[in-house]
Amino acid sequence: MRGNLLYLDKESGLHKLHPLTKLAFTLFLLVCAAALADLIWLLAAFVFLLVPLAWWGRVISPVLRSGLAVITPFVISLSLIQGFFTGGETELFSVGSFVFTLEGWLAGLTVAARILVALSGALLLTLSTRPDALMHALTQRGLPNGLAYIVLSSIQIFPRFQDRAQLILQAQQARGLETQTHFVRRLGLLVPLTGPLILSSIVDVEERAMALEARAFSRAGRKTSLLVLRDSLGQRLVRLALLTVGLGLVAMRVWYLLQ
Amino acid sequence: MISLRNFSYRYPSQERFALQELNLEIKAGQFCGVVGANGAGKSTLCYALSGFAPHFFRGEVQGQGLIGKLDIAKSSLGELAGEVGLVFQNAFNQISGARFTVRGEIAFGLENLGIARRQIQARVDDVLDALNLTDLASRSPYELSGGQQQRVAIASILAMRPKVLVLDEPVSQLDPHGTEEIFKIIEMISQSGETTVVLVEHKLEWLAAYADRVLVLDQGRVVMDGPARSVLASADMMKLGIGRTQYSQVAEIARKQGLVSDAGLLPVTLKQARALFR
Repeated sequence: MRGNLLYLDKESGLHKLHPLTKLAFTLFLLVCAAALADLIWLLAAFVFLLVPLAWWGRVISPVLRSGLAVITPFVISLSLIQGFFTGGETELFSVGSFVFTLEGWLAGLTVAARILVALSGALLLTLSTRPDALMHALTQRGLPNGLAYIVLSSIQIFPRFQDRAQLILQAQQARGLETQTHFVRRLGLLVPLTGPLILSSIVDVEERAMALEARAFSRAGRKTSLLVLRDSLGQRLVRLALLTVGLGLVAMRVWYLLQ
Repeated sequence: MISLRNFSYRYPSQERFALQELNLEIKAGQFCGVVGANGAGKSTLCYALSGFAPHFFRGEVQGQGLIGKLDIAKSSLGELAGEVGLVFQNAFNQISGARFTVRGEIAFGLENLGIARRQIQARVDDVLDALNLTDLASRSPYELSGGQQQRVAIASILAMRPKVLVLDEPVSQLDPHGTEEIFKIIEMISQSGETTVVLVEHKLEWLAAYADRVLVLDQGRVVMDGPARSVLASADMMKLGIGRTQYSQVAEIARKQGLVSDAGLLPVTLKQARALFR
């Protein structure tokens, strides 16, 4: 569906869950990424929580692929930096006067694992949840309609913005603007390129606002929805449990840091 | 259906009134074309009928304007949106961006009106069918051609079942094929007799073929008002900088060169031109 969305339209149990349940999973994974202290726990969260959920949602391969692609450079750079510069007892090898320690290496891997859990937790939500369904769920819980609109329209309008930027670039090139040039000259190009982009967008805003008014966007009173979200007692309990455990983890972490 | 009495409107920070003492009655179900040179007040008239002037642009209103029983100056845009639908030139800017499919986009206005879900489904299916959009229902409105987008924009407004449909040059950015599609739809809407149509349009041939009545605006005033043929064939159309249909132009040349002897109204449609030259 619709080119620029991350969302993958699949038939799966995860896709059918209420958006807030999936949001709760993701927030829980973000809490895990921040609050779990040890590498082993972080990897356990990834293997026993994230992988089964992603597999259930039939999005396991994009999650792993993007996860690996993003995490590999982090693993390498963090391992090197932390391995050499975080002190420790156990020397693995040394280069000149620099000593690579096991403790440092593990510290580097822990940071990388945090990034992995947080990133794939966010991917899990975006791959399996339509943005409009998520926003609908949130507006039902009191998110202002205007804010939901901003999120949804930006997702769709941003790629058109890029198209327009490209068009302006070509138009200016056709008028003889030199774009293949050295860095300082390129900075000067920002004015003829972004000026028309911003001005034309401001002009559009007025028309777009009118179009929204023409569709009774500002009408007072209850709104209805074509989209139906199914919730269940089970899902509510799961959300409650995730919230409780998540808060518990945060409390533990804060306690640990204060000690 | 539409009733303007001594209606004037001035944009904020402008001295001149963009619409000046308009007196206008448009009956329910009538198809009324509006023409005029640039700056004559055509778009402003559209904005006034749909309440954007004064509620969106602010500015000053004098006299009275009624849409059905709603007083334009005293009703909110939200109230008016259920009664008057406005379609304008740029199809792309009329796509709300709040929904990801054509079906969702058309439902958006109905959701805002608080219409029950079942009814939304039924109405959306109706307009999808009527405007030949069913095949595109699950596509993204942003991935459509200009003509298709304008059809979606019209569908989105029509689904709200306004009693008055105001269209401000809806085809000016479309190719001939898209133009024809849109005019076929406007004709269909008008012929159903349920909707009053006000159409601002430069393509006079189309107005001549479909409009019951044509208004000519000049500097914010109605300077001509009558059946399409008598207005569009009038010699004043040239003086007002509007021009005439290609049929009138050909017939006038033919008349000057003595090829036809008929001295009545110039033809404004293909059918009338054919009758003249036969």
